[in-house]
Amino acid sequence: MEIPLAHYLILSGLLFSIGLAGVLIRKNIIVVFMCLEMMLSAAIVSLVAFSRANGVNGVPVYDAQVLALFIVAIAAAEVAIGLALIVAMFRARRTVSSAALNTLKED
Amino acid sequence: MDFAISSILFYAFAAMALICACCVIFASNPVTSAMSMALCFAATAAILFGLGAQFLGIVQITVYAGAILVLFLFVVMMLDIRTEEDDNSFSVFSSLVRMAPGALISGVFAALVFLAAIKLPGADEWNNPLCRAWDSRGELCVGRQEPAASTATGNYGGALPALSPAAAAKTLNPNISNEEAAAATSIPDVKLLGQCLFSQYNVVFVILSFALLASTVGAVALSRKIRKD
Repeated sequence: MEIPLAHYLILSGLLFSIGLAGVLIRKNIIVVFMCLEMMLSAAIVSLVAFSRANGVNGVPVYDAQVLALFIVAIAAAEVAIGLALIVAMFRARRTVSSAALNTLKED
Repeated sequence: MDFAISSILFYAFAAMALICACCVIFASNPVTSAMSMALCFAATAAILFGLGAQFLGIVQITVYAGAILVLFLFVVMMLDIRTEEDDNSFSVFSSLVRMAPGALISGVFAALVFLAAIKLPGADEWNNPLCRAWDSRGELCVGRQEPAASTATGNYGGALPALSPAAAAKTLNPNISNEEAAAATSIPDVKLLGQCLFSQYNVVFVILSFALLASTVGAVALSRKIRKD
């Protein structure tokens, strides 16, 4: 039994929603950031699955894989900036809990 | 029902990826989360290998499980973060209430994706192979759905189309003869990806390298110690 495209998409959707749940539930900003990375890699799975499914003549559509490669590069850039921001936040607040970011909140 | 070894590997790695993703969320120690994330990325890379995207699988391992994970671990260990033990002072009920909106939103999203995936165009013809492959029109689609109709509507129902090394060799170099193309045994994945990347998307690639450079400079500027004087 060959694996249909739907199973790849369901796997990708489940990985994405687990990442989304982590972003919404967790308070530790570093873990929130890890969950963001998981969401990006879930997107890569569905892109590559569609590149196979839309393949013409038995050759995958490589535009989708190039897009996936760009997603990886953007994820790397985002992690560099985001972790630098987390380090700066830790210097200022001595914590990485997102509940500590309440400067704009009216008491 | 007989299972090919590739299907068993797909479902095993998919289960591993999902379990490790849950571990990332529910681990109280960020180091445990980071290690689970490494396993999750390794399983995702294995699934990409199974899809025939060898280069992207290797990129997934080197960039995600290598570079990004090491950055995370570096920051976690450098900052000496306390685990979220202070959350345990609340009752189980209040922590459930805190988790409920996130779980609800992501559950609804997962259900939407699931519904969209099982209702893909052509999903009713479960056993029909995808009729996109030109060289398989004659053999595979005999006695089944009209190939023209299925390509016109975009049939995503059946199994993924088989990779064709001969067609890939022909795509890479249109000048070779059919006999030489038929002698090809594997898909030159990296060559085809590079051909697409450096011809059609060359400008985007250069712009992306500038984005990476800017983010590197930005990270250095952000994490630099600011002197008060």
